[in-house]
Amino acid sequence: MRGADYVLKRLAFAVVTVFVAVTINFALFRLAPGSAVTNLSRVPHATQQLREALTKQFGLNKSKGAQYVIYLKQLLHGNLGVSFENEQPVSTNLRIALINTLPMVFLGTLFSIVIGTLTGVIAAWRRGTPTETLTVSSALGFYSMPTHWLGLMLIIIFAGILPTGGMTNEFLLNPPFWTHVRDLASHITLPSLTLGLVLYGEYTLIVRSAMLETLGEDYILTARAKGLRPWTIVRRHALRNAMLPVATLIALSLGYIVAGAILIETVFSWPGIGRAVYEAVLQRDYPMLQGAFLLLTISVVICNLVADLLYFKLDPRITE
Amino acid sequence: MSSAGIMIEAPTTPAQTRRGFVLRTLRAKPAATIGLVVLMIVVLVAVLAPVIAPYGLHTQVGPVFGSPSWSHPLGLDDGGIDMVTLLMWGARISLVVGFAATVVSMAIGGTVGVLAGYFGGVVETILMRITDYFIVVPDVPLMIVVAAIWGPSLFHIVIVIGILLWTSTARVIRAQVKSVRERVYVKRARALGAGHTRIVLRHVLPQVAPLLIANTVLTVAVAIFDETALSFLGLGDPSRVSLGKVIENAFERAAISAGAWWAIVPPGAVVALIILACSLVGGALEDALNPRLRVAHLSARTFRLRPLVGRSDSAL
Amino acid sequence: MTPLLEVEGLHVWFDLADGGELHAVQDVGLTLQPGERLGLVGESGCGKTTTALAIMGLLPPSASAAGRILLEGKDVLAGGEATIRPHRWVDIAIVFQGAMNALNPVRTIGAQIVEALELHEVVRGAAARDRAGDLLESVGIPARRAERFPHELSGGMRQRAAIAMALSCEPKVLIADEPTTALDVMVQAQILELLDGLCSDFGLALILVTHDLPVVAQLCDRGVVMYAGRIAERGTVEELYHEPHHPYTRLLFAATPDLDDLDQPIVSIPGAPPRLDRPLEGCPFRPRCDRAFERCETERPRLRGFGDGREAACHLDQLVSV
Repeated sequence: MRGADYVLKRLAFAVVTVFVAVTINFALFRLAPGSAVTNLSRVPHATQQLREALTKQFGLNKSKGAQYVIYLKQLLHGNLGVSFENEQPVSTNLRIALINTLPMVFLGTLFSIVIGTLTGVIAAWRRGTPTETLTVSSALGFYSMPTHWLGLMLIIIFAGILPTGGMTNEFLLNPPFWTHVRDLASHITLPSLTLGLVLYGEYTLIVRSAMLETLGEDYILTARAKGLRPWTIVRRHALRNAMLPVATLIALSLGYIVAGAILIETVFSWPGIGRAVYEAVLQRDYPMLQGAFLLLTISVVICNLVADLLYFKLDPRITE
Repeated sequence: MSSAGIMIEAPTTPAQTRRGFVLRTLRAKPAATIGLVVLMIVVLVAVLAPVIAPYGLHTQVGPVFGSPSWSHPLGLDDGGIDMVTLLMWGARISLVVGFAATVVSMAIGGTVGVLAGYFGGVVETILMRITDYFIVVPDVPLMIVVAAIWGPSLFHIVIVIGILLWTSTARVIRAQVKSVRERVYVKRARALGAGHTRIVLRHVLPQVAPLLIANTVLTVAVAIFDETALSFLGLGDPSRVSLGKVIENAFERAAISAGAWWAIVPPGAVVALIILACSLVGGALEDALNPRLRVAHLSARTFRLRPLVGRSDSAL
Repeated sequence: MTPLLEVEGLHVWFDLADGGELHAVQDVGLTLQPGERLGLVGESGCGKTTTALAIMGLLPPSASAAGRILLEGKDVLAGGEATIRPHRWVDIAIVFQGAMNALNPVRTIGAQIVEALELHEVVRGAAARDRAGDLLESVGIPARRAERFPHELSGGMRQRAAIAMALSCEPKVLIADEPTTALDVMVQAQILELLDGLCSDFGLALILVTHDLPVVAQLCDRGVVMYAGRIAERGTVEELYHEPHHPYTRLLFAATPDLDDLDQPIVSIPGAPPRLDRPLEGCPFRPRCDRAFERCETERPRLRGFGDGREAACHLDQLVSV
């Protein structure tokens, strides 16, 4: 397989990074000063039984070194402790939250990539015209807006037209399937729109820049010389090459997407991972905080890895 | 260089001379000039806030969420305080945090970048690996966690933001330092026995400065955004009023339900403006440092035709 | 006989970033008969590549042009993109310097040749792939290399592949822009031999754009020497070599070292070409000319004919009889 060692190297890097993240996680929460943080078994209102079980599971009465090893072991079993707030396993809470977040983030990201690419291509194609200025200005404008503020603005504008909070209408009891779907759809609109608008600008700029770069390459001239029509050249030769940086950008954006999700979910009361982090902070629910942070870091690592491999697959020139 | 295409040998002065580089770039691009002017106005207002603010920062001058009126063009916030005053003071705090965090980030990132680029080898590998790990960890969650554990104060916020923003600077500076290191005059200086410090200070840093400036401006934008985000999530310094805090207060006190859009829209608009201005200026500087000499072979426009010219000797 | 290609009074300007204009090609004309081989010679930046691109309508959006370009009697410059495009590749094709990026790096060379074939409906599908393979063989590349990407081939092979692609639709005119620059000497010789053979076999007319004189001497019948966007001299290759009128032509040919005469002093032309973004007074070559006199400073020399396609733009030819 081409570049098997490249793939292996990236894989190894990802694994090591996860390991480093886990360690940082441990250090941050267990070694930080303040007993509230160090003790996973201090679940408020917990029964003595629960406390003892947690102490034993996480070896909280042993040395830090031993705790670390036990922590790793528990991680492999998917045991992240118990939430201080609702006394459920952290992993369960997180799983539910993640399932709520993913569709919203997915839609928003899709929107931003599609609109961003479209506007980027148009801006490059119509270089030096007012169209380009307008496209780039809008992109920069939305890109500069603080995520949460944009969400609030959308709420102000669309209040009454679209639901502005929560994932579903709580007053709909046992709705029929399609009503439920429509309800979800109307609730997901504003949050994902906010995410899409905040993110698309970066894609516009990158795609435009990559397109301009590509359109200056010799093979574009060759394609013209062959008699291809301009739009065919853009589609078949330029776009493919110009999209390569987009793959990398998607990975790099993931950090922003995660941050954006936190802010958006707080504004729209969306019961996802972001909101879970926010509420964990407010309530000083350290096991949740620790678990959520770990989950977010690992997902970014995985997405970076996927993006690396994707880029590798798309560009035949990379052989190292 | 495109050999098949055309290299236009436009007679211009080289863009890389340090002196006046920033000014020249800004003059060439109107967008950047606008950005700079906006920034200067905002900074001026922020610096003069104590003097020019129309009302007291903690003085209640009307009802909660009072509507805009002639005496209060932007209305009142949840404490009955004049919004214009809040914006001025808020800009002050936000800018302070933004600049301070950027300084921290530049110090770390610049040092790492210069060390890694200049010494290469093992030093570079170690520093770059560390950088890579920092890049992958998502900033805002980490910021949230650290701020939550450490406690809210302006100083903590500045440090927390600074600790996460240095990575892009480090990478960019390293690349530039590596290329500068290979230049003839650096090698000559080494051959003449100049010490590392001297070379770095006298030869490397000046060449890297324009890029550092561009990166700094862009970092300020991100720092201000981060401060806004942290404040919004309740992790900002509660005793200081930053623009982020103004938005957070409004959100907490249900400004939207009260219909008090003026408590939310202006502070965010100011933040957006600052970030936009920084992006324009920083972006223009970055573009100027990577000039695209290549001509686009294809675009919606095509080359133009002119009417036939007479025989060559007529003045052309 | 109607010339295959006629260029009359061609001017090309480029927009500059500061608002000015670069007058890259100034009143250039040439004719090409079927099967004829013309060398377009000059230093970098003299406007020869721009002329070649203008002929095919490939100028960038920042350019403007004036003049007439007649392809088999039809003005393709005035007609714009719509007029020239049907002729591209099927009547007139171009080969660029085979550097890394003249071929699309993310598509196989076979696919790129097939693209040309299918676009101009020569053949489609499997037949096209076979034909691509044959074309590659005809330039000395094993057919199975069609699956390769450009970066997997050496510089010489890339150049051959580009030639194969250019000939895929059997054009009447081939423009070769610096086909041997950036190749090492051995490979250069092979490419030239290839071009020579192909042009003879298919009766192709050739415009060879180059700064490299021995190449022109080897391959071409006639030559056009350009300087600072203008034509300095034209004639047959022998005439240019043995009896140059224009001092630039003479110095150009003298500057090429002769391996047979190692004692010959190395001649180079001092100085640099003039800037083309402002109007010039007098002869553009004057600052570097070894035979300049007063008139050269104030009056620009016109292109004078000496009969039989022989022309030169120099005040000297009034004084010197050849």
